[in-house]
Amino acid sequence: MTTNPALVESPTVELDDASKWFGQKVAVSNVTCSFGPGVTGLLGPNGAGKTTMLRMLTGLIRPSQGSVRVLGVWPRTSPSVYTDVGLVPEEAAVYPSLTAREYVRYAATLSGVADVDEATARAIDTVALVEPADRKLAGYSKGMRQRAKVAAALVSDPQILLLDEPLNGTDPVQRLHLISLFQRLGAEGRTVIVSSHILDEVDRMSDRVIAIVDGRLAAAGDVAAIREAMTDIPYRVRIESDSTRVLAARLLEEALVHGVSVDDGILHVETGDLAALGLRVPVVAREVDARITSFQPEDASLESVFRYLVRR
Amino acid sequence: MRAAWAITSTTVKQLLGVRRMIVFGLAELAPAGVFLLMTQTLAQEAALDRLLGMVAALYFPLLVPIVTLIVAASALGDERRDGTLSFLVLRPIPRSVIALSKFGGAVIVAAGLNIFGAVALTVVYGIESGSWSLVVPLAVGGAFASIVYTSLFVPLGFFTDRAVLAGLAFVFIFENAVVSALSGLSSLSPWRIGLSAFAGLAPGEVKAELAEFGGASLSSFGASLFWTFLIAVLSIGATTMVLRRRDLA
Repeated sequence: MTTNPALVESPTVELDDASKWFGQKVAVSNVTCSFGPGVTGLLGPNGAGKTTMLRMLTGLIRPSQGSVRVLGVWPRTSPSVYTDVGLVPEEAAVYPSLTAREYVRYAATLSGVADVDEATARAIDTVALVEPADRKLAGYSKGMRQRAKVAAALVSDPQILLLDEPLNGTDPVQRLHLISLFQRLGAEGRTVIVSSHILDEVDRMSDRVIAIVDGRLAAAGDVAAIREAMTDIPYRVRIESDSTRVLAARLLEEALVHGVSVDDGILHVETGDLAALGLRVPVVAREVDARITSFQPEDASLESVFRYLVRR
Repeated sequence: MRAAWAITSTTVKQLLGVRRMIVFGLAELAPAGVFLLMTQTLAQEAALDRLLGMVAALYFPLLVPIVTLIVAASALGDERRDGTLSFLVLRPIPRSVIALSKFGGAVIVAAGLNIFGAVALTVVYGIESGSWSLVVPLAVGGAFASIVYTSLFVPLGFFTDRAVLAGLAFVFIFENAVVSALSGLSSLSPWRIGLSAFAGLAPGEVKAELAEFGGASLSSFGASLFWTFLIAVLSIGATTMVLRRRDLA
């Protein structure tokens, strides 16, 4: 049983003290973490090192230090492992002169798929690209190209799927479709690693988050656990009441309250113990005869957690 | 085998853009066109002399290297620039298969174009002279030169975005200046390897005539075959090694 939230019980993909530098620039620094079945969000601002990390995981670039293992091997020297790995890269990475069907078929052939036609049709259907499948990729929108890349990655039915900003350029409908697809693949027991700088996307599709800031592992685990681990940063709670000022004054007397502020009639409370505050506020409200109409943690969302991580 | 064929055929498709085919097709017809033009203006000169002039001054030293350079440098270079190289290398196939297949695709296109130019020139010559004995030798010579240039320019395109510039420097500075001055280096000059193959297969009088066009240092057909094979094998080996060792993104 591992206690390190950056590590999982049955890893399929592992980084051990992995670093990558390009000349003087350190892109990834001493990252130790692992990935297992389910969807893991690789979160970080642009330039944080997410793409470099994904490229190390696929063997496209070798770590300057440390090691990377996919299904127990370093992929660069054991290409047979690529049967079980699918990558959706961030850059264009499609052949404009091919149709989507030819592109996916090409991927199936190179991956050694037994029934190429069946696998191609299935992958195209999975990403809902059946109708335009025989049009050249040169005429595709960015979102459609993304779906074609996802189909090419899925065509060999891989156990591990690495997706670098896969929702870039997709419209809301395509986005929903792809998110539910990734969730389904994760639920089927595949290792799905999704890199994104869009918090909402990561929040919606991931069971677990690995946050990368300036090339370093900033946090790992589920969002609530990461937030709980940030003991040095008080929680902020938004309280709506019919007696805001009275309630604020009374709450200031409580030891677990670090500070209060009133803004536009809304009470904002800072505390180090969210659960205890949740129990205490109704009691205090009764004492001052105030009616609470809303009690909402303001910074338990992934966005708030991430803002803290970047600021640190 | 299936993967190798898929990469080769896709490479051919990539390299055979419509615009590129029109431009290169017209360029390949240039020696035949110039030959025809000379028929009008230099009628007194023997047809064979005019043909060999085209072969030794235009076809081998200019047309074959430039067409092959542009085609071969794109074979892996475009994959690297467009980010599609990851599509190829993240597959359960040996890197040697990728190197061999990309090389094969580039050779098919470059040699195909250059053979077309050779056939056009020798057919025009054949119509005028009634001799068809140079069609095959020039096509084979063009194919040999195409293979050797492809061997050099496929890896070059992978290494640098300025492959065309570097390739032109190789052709004009090294081959057409340095090797011309130091004939001992002629076995390192791809177009001279092609010219040697042509001379080796052509009738005896052609070889003698070629001496007038700087062909004195030409090697035998066997030597051309050996150098072509060796350079191609070394190139595929080097490309394989680079694909294995180099960071690809």
